[in-house]
Amino acid sequence: MENKDIEQLETSSFRDPDAKVFLKDGEIYRRISKNYAKTFEKFINSGLYEKLLSENLIIEHTQIESDDLIIKPKKVFISYPWEWCFSQLKDAALATLKIQKIALEYNMSLKDATPYNIQFLKNKPLLIDTSSFEDFKEKPWVAYRQFCENFLSPLVLIAYTDLSLSSLFLGNINGISLALASKLLPLKTRFNPNLLWHIHIHSKMQNKYSENKTKYDVKISKNQLLNIIDNLYDTVLGINLKKYKTEWQEYYSNTNYTEDSFGTKKEIITCFKNKINPKTVWDFGSNTGIFSRIFSKEGIDVTAFDIDHLAIEKNYLTAKENGEENIFPLIFDISNPSPALGFNNEERKTLTQRAQNVDLILALALIHHLRITYSIPFSYIAKYFAEISKYLIIEFVDKKDSKIQTMLLNREDIFDDYTKENFEKEFGEFYQILEIKPIDGTKRTLYLMERK
Amino acid sequence: MFKTFYKNDNKKFLKDCLQIIFTIFLMNAICPEKAFAYLDPGTGSMVLQAILAAIVGVGCTFKIWKQKLFDFIKKVRNGK
Repeated sequence: MENKDIEQLETSSFRDPDAKVFLKDGEIYRRISKNYAKTFEKFINSGLYEKLLSENLIIEHTQIESDDLIIKPKKVFISYPWEWCFSQLKDAALATLKIQKIALEYNMSLKDATPYNIQFLKNKPLLIDTSSFEDFKEKPWVAYRQFCENFLSPLVLIAYTDLSLSSLFLGNINGISLALASKLLPLKTRFNPNLLWHIHIHSKMQNKYSENKTKYDVKISKNQLLNIIDNLYDTVLGINLKKYKTEWQEYYSNTNYTEDSFGTKKEIITCFKNKINPKTVWDFGSNTGIFSRIFSKEGIDVTAFDIDHLAIEKNYLTAKENGEENIFPLIFDISNPSPALGFNNEERKTLTQRAQNVDLILALALIHHLRITYSIPFSYIAKYFAEISKYLIIEFVDKKDSKIQTMLLNREDIFDDYTKENFEKEFGEFYQILEIKPIDGTKRTLYLMERK
Repeated sequence: MFKTFYKNDNKKFLKDCLQIIFTIFLMNAICPEKAFAYLDPGTGSMVLQAILAAIVGVGCTFKIWKQKLFDFIKKVRNGK
């Protein structure tokens, strides 16, 4: 590989001196440093890489012909832990522990245990940091603290304190401190021996040794470490969302649609789909993914976004149960998307920055929420969508619809501009309207639009 | 070529050998081949793992004994 000057270093790849990720001609590469080359070769030659590949736990890569040791990993859409529902984070945690356990069998160990090293491909969590392995030494696991702060801590907070606490990742880019978790968790977690040790006592130990000036030479054998990993695995496995049982039941009821109109809506969308033949779809406000699946079941890649954690949880669990590979659910709030984070706001990117080759946006049963609940003007929404994708299928909900009438019951109706004509006019600034199809039996209309 | 250079001066030869070996040792010490993990493991976390190693070992043994006991009781019951 010549021309090092047209390489662009990946801005989040700076902590580990053993390897650097860079971009060239739109492709991702990982350069292994000379210091790490021998360890990396052991990783490959010992069979550990092949084993992890066969267990579908690591991203596949190819080696590049070059003077330096460079590998080219398979490209994957980047998502962040605050976008994952509970079960996605749990599966990422379990995958990390499985990887560590297998690594130990090959006398190697993970250098780090962070959710940013895990990405989902076909709904399976994979390690994307191929250079994350070191030789095993009979010492404590160097990534144990990071695992507890970045996986265990948020999982228990979401499960036992509040679903919304996955957003703690945003303000705590290096992990949610055990002291904070210990404070926020309910008393009952102290009676769970696993949580007592890995969270509460762990937090106290961190405090105790925070001003430490002694060098400790702790020895831990491989078997002892395997026991601890097994225990961590059981701990994570035992965390569940039983607390949210009643809310969970709501996802089995239908609102605002007669059986017929549901079918009609699906038919119209299918008709639009056949007209534009998209390869990648982003479904905003996808709820449990009923309409996303019109596309994903035909092999079209769909990322299904929704603000509701439990809706995404249900969507993900359904996809897992049915082995669906083309639908990827994520938690997302259009009215307040996550900012670019990390040092110089360059380590973690906004959703729009991560958008690549999105052919179609689905915005069904969404526009009234954005306009009335969040007061976002139609033209702002149109501009946002137009920046991401060429085509748009959007559902306009008439003001007389019972849902909107409920929303306006106890408040002033300041939405004089909320009319079909104005909607078409404001969206018309950014889009050409290709088709208009009212849904029989409802006060809703489906539009197919193409960016101007 | 070796004979002409050292002219049978064994003392100098030995001295040179020792110097080379020492340099190699020094280079290895300051330029280690192995890479080291970049993360701070956290002292408290390290000490906790030492404690856990002892407890979890006991817990695992207990689990195995409990399973063996249950299997034994099952066997006896089926035998009856």
